[in-house]
Amino acid sequence: MMKIKNLLPSVGRPAEKDDDHPFYSLQRQMNRLFDDFFAGFDAAPKALAGSGFGAFSPSVDVKESDKEFTLRAELPGVDEKDIEVTVTPDAVTIKGEKKEEVEDKGKNYYYMERSYGAFNRVIPLAVETDADKAQANFKNGVLKITVPKAASSKAKGTKVPVKTA
Amino acid sequence: MMDKDIQKTENVSAAERVRNVKTFVPRVDIYENKDALYLVADMPGVDEKTVDIELEKNILTISGRVENGRVDGATLMYSEYEIGDYERVFTLSDEIDRDKIVATVKNGVLRLELPKAEQVKPKKIAISAA
Repeated sequence: MMKIKNLLPSVGRPAEKDDDHPFYSLQRQMNRLFDDFFAGFDAAPKALAGSGFGAFSPSVDVKESDKEFTLRAELPGVDEKDIEVTVTPDAVTIKGEKKEEVEDKGKNYYYMERSYGAFNRVIPLAVETDADKAQANFKNGVLKITVPKAASSKAKGTKVPVKTA
Repeated sequence: MMDKDIQKTENVSAAERVRNVKTFVPRVDIYENKDALYLVADMPGVDEKTVDIELEKNILTISGRVENGRVDGATLMYSEYEIGDYERVFTLSDEIDRDKIVATVKNGVLRLELPKAEQVKPKKIAISAA
């Protein structure tokens, strides 16, 4: 699992619980800085995608089966009107904005743990997909995108019979 | 730090549960104006049927059940969040008018309006000229 993530530096790795130590966290951030810098320009590094620290950026899960990719993103409080999903043969882009609710005059905050802002995530897909048949569905703050794999990429290698001489 | 922004926090203090799933602490905003306290919680994946609000004495518990997102025959390529239930407990003061609490769920966000009791609302006292 970790191996795959290492190959996908721009996707943002979840924190490991046991290395929450400040020293490791610094090391991790340095590593990520390099990863993002060398990640190329086709995939926007997550760290730079938002408008800065604390800006909202959705968490994404990607599942793969023989036929399709299933992506799921948590977008609580985002309106379906504000979500834009673009599918290209090799990547899925989720773009949108989590808007702060209507300004209420004279309100005092006690807790402010939720975050707001525009986000843009590019999720590279390892296998070529059939972008025209992709489907997106938004329900209860969870966006689900299914992208079928292209027919050509589904074909597995041809078996070659081994003969004895 | 950045990792914490995208990670959900597991609720380790949640009581032993029947369902074998993780429980997370939903992120909340709490603010007040002169009439009420508002509690807004991000709980992606819940709807009005799966969210539960309980008020016992002055302990307000919000919890939500999320169906697991298993896709048959699929393997996880990468994962940034885990699917699990939500639970968080708040202690209310007596200044809340318990009978008028309003809760709504939309797009995975739970919004609670906790109106203040009449006697604690700020009042202006008119000064009459002597």
